[in-house]
Amino acid sequence: MLRGSVRDKDGAAIGGASIAIPGTTLSTRTDLQGVYRIAVVPAGRVRVHAAALGYGPVDTAVALTGGDSTTLDFTLRSAPLELPPLDVVSTKVARFGDRPATSVVQIPERDIDQRAVNTVDEAVDKAAGIQMLNGQINIRGSTGYIQGLNSRVLLLVDGVPMNQGDRGGINWDLLPVDQIERVDILKGAGSSLYGSAALGGVVNLATRDVPEGVHVRVRLTGGAYGNPPEEVWRFRNGTGLQGGGDISGSYGTTTFGGRLAAGARHSDGYREQDDGDHWQIAGRARWQASPRTRVDMSSAWAVDHYDVPLAWCRQGRCDDRGQAFQPFKVATASLGSWTDSRKGYIAVQARTVVSERFAWQARGSWFRTSFFDQRPPNGSEFGIANRFGAELRAEAHPDSMRTVLVGSEMTLSDVTSDIFGNHSQSEYAAYGESDQAVGVFRFTAGARIDFLAVDGGSLSAVVSPRLGGTVPTDHKGGVLRASIGRGFRAPTVAERFVHTFFEALEVIPNPNLGPETAWSLELGHTTAPLLHVLRLDAALFWTEARELIEPRLILIEESPNDSIPNLVPKIQLHNVTRARIAGLDVAILTAPIPDRLTATLSYTYLSTRRQVAGDTSAPGPLAFRPKHLLTLSADYNLGAVGVGADFRYASRVERIELEGFVDSRRVPVKVLDLRAGWKQGPVELRLLAANVLNYMYNLVPQTLAPVRTVTLTAVWSH
Amino acid sequence: MLRSLFRIAVVGLVAAGVAGACDGGLDPEPICARSLVGLCGTVRFRGAVPANTENVFIAAYLAFPHTCTDLINNRRPVIPGSVPFTDSIAPYSVPLSPGAYNWVLAVWKKPGTLTLTPADTQYLRVAGYYRDRVDSTQPGVVTVPSGGGAAPGGIDFVVNFDSLRPATDFVTCTAQ
Repeated sequence: MLRGSVRDKDGAAIGGASIAIPGTTLSTRTDLQGVYRIAVVPAGRVRVHAAALGYGPVDTAVALTGGDSTTLDFTLRSAPLELPPLDVVSTKVARFGDRPATSVVQIPERDIDQRAVNTVDEAVDKAAGIQMLNGQINIRGSTGYIQGLNSRVLLLVDGVPMNQGDRGGINWDLLPVDQIERVDILKGAGSSLYGSAALGGVVNLATRDVPEGVHVRVRLTGGAYGNPPEEVWRFRNGTGLQGGGDISGSYGTTTFGGRLAAGARHSDGYREQDDGDHWQIAGRARWQASPRTRVDMSSAWAVDHYDVPLAWCRQGRCDDRGQAFQPFKVATASLGSWTDSRKGYIAVQARTVVSERFAWQARGSWFRTSFFDQRPPNGSEFGIANRFGAELRAEAHPDSMRTVLVGSEMTLSDVTSDIFGNHSQSEYAAYGESDQAVGVFRFTAGARIDFLAVDGGSLSAVVSPRLGGTVPTDHKGGVLRASIGRGFRAPTVAERFVHTFFEALEVIPNPNLGPETAWSLELGHTTAPLLHVLRLDAALFWTEARELIEPRLILIEESPNDSIPNLVPKIQLHNVTRARIAGLDVAILTAPIPDRLTATLSYTYLSTRRQVAGDTSAPGPLAFRPKHLLTLSADYNLGAVGVGADFRYASRVERIELEGFVDSRRVPVKVLDLRAGWKQGPVELRLLAANVLNYMYNLVPQTLAPVRTVTLTAVWSH
Repeated sequence: MLRSLFRIAVVGLVAAGVAGACDGGLDPEPICARSLVGLCGTVRFRGAVPANTENVFIAAYLAFPHTCTDLINNRRPVIPGSVPFTDSIAPYSVPLSPGAYNWVLAVWKKPGTLTLTPADTQYLRVAGYYRDRVDSTQPGVVTVPSGGGAAPGGIDFVVNFDSLRPATDFVTCTAQ
């Protein structure tokens, strides 16, 4: 056994640091106390690699004797310009220490803590090239916005797919944010390993491991929403408040470990009819069944009951006070709209390290979501979806220069709903990927085949290949990368079978929808630290998408036997669009005052073209994609105190869906967040002033984005 | 020296961001705002409001409709906004594409689900329309200028709840 700790130069524990024996199946992470353990190690002299985000990596050789326990402690030096240590999203590719062939962003625990967010999407929204649109994530403009009806990004929790079984969307509040250790974001098509929905990228939420000993963590938050900046927009007499609390406790030994967390929060909301309550529990357990086999179980259950401000009030639909629109108010007719949403999952994973050259892993999961929407005056809607998943994969390192991964995966989604009907959808897949070092070059090649079936019908197949490579450009960490891959997204049950109404228009099913596909190409370069103060990463990307699913207004002849045809306009989802998304991602990381001041500037330029099948008019831009997206973050730390700022700009989107049917007002996004923190021993205080300038904007039609919100968070850890 | 330059650059970028965030967001917009592309005015209400009134909305037509199908399909906007009818007078505005509109009218609606078909006329009545200032028996023409000119204001007219008129008084509806 190899064991030890990872600490900084002051002796403070570094949690989440990666420890690995390169070229083998053997790797682990440190716990909260900076302690690690690798149960099975080969005898002889081996190289051990330790790394953590924000620290310089350390390589050391150690002589190991069979049957003995060897202690190896690491001290890492702060290096803010150091690249993230891992090139993996989840544990699917266990390579270590090499740069990936596609762009990967990692949001470490420190960044999540500093931003004092309540749900993880609020932290993801600050990452380079990412934009959240009312809960729908866009990686380089991948998804757009279709009322939560799909996602072209796949969400994983510890490597387990967690997109909803009916709508394919993402529940960002599934997990308590306090349980998340790290967020990995893979940009570009990832279907060669991850399958459907990984058309535009993959997001993995890595939860905290269970450390040894007894640990308790309490987190309390409280805050207030800013009032409308204009008197004519006032909608209540008092100030809206929010608050909540989480508590988690864990106990672990070298063999077993378990953690239970529970929490609740309430928000008055920042608009009329915007109250919300949230309750959650979450658990995680580990069992070292043998020196070579580890079993992990995780689960969570969350309940949300919230009022729904469907759309802001337009003139005449509420007490408009002589205004063309009232962004804080809703139409009188939609007062009383609310939603009850419940979601939970349980996942079990087992990994056996057969030898340092071979390991296998198996998992099973069940993800359940349900919703009940009360929508006066028309009534209600409900849906229940169960998504069952299973996966088996093997990982081999035939030699230190090559990694091979093969696996198979199965997903079954079962849906019961009054607007989606009763349906099932299944996906069966096999995949393989190999990674080979040739001199200084490193090549990756892989492919996956997915078979899709709806309601037990015939299978259709989608093949998703991928090729990639990296080459160092200097000896200080500069890397050139290139990749090309095919992604796809199977239509969700909701997209195929939805039957509802939107603004008096009937939305009708289309069971014949086919998968969306896209080829993604990327060419990127990460420089070595320049002048010891900055590091640059730039990537050109190009996506050619086919058969994108979009809503279309169509005319249906309702009474074909009548003497006068009665053509009724309806909305139906179709595979209608060819699209191109090309652009440039640039990120600059600077540390002008090492250990004190760090800043990142990221900019994404998006050029999109959309060509509707059968439409001969000039191609237009894709809806809900801003051309320019800029994020600027800076942090200054002095001892126990730290202050920081995030500024985000997105240009006004050129096109929205269903223009003419909805209020088309839209403006650029210019949001400034300020934050401050203090940490002393087990106590931590965080102050966040989000949208501190109280800038009024909307990301999607008729929906006001959050106003100024001041939140104080206190954390006590034992 | 170099580090000082970087510090200045970082501070400068933050300051530029803050300055840039000070304007450009959503602002209050009076019903007859200068930025409106469309038309606006007031509606005066007369008569007793029917008990089954659901709402009153303003619609416009580039060409005067001749059939029920024209009435439904050529309406602008497709989903019009409502006008509050509980007071004796109400300001209104209608966002419209530039062009000359030959019929601007108030439509009364009773409860019922609209399907955007001629069948909708069973729930709708013509409640009043903008009239030509010279010949008040004829509808007035309103031009929404292109190129961002000021919206035509003062498009005022009367809604008389005591004389709501069916669509067939104006257009031909052969089958519904």
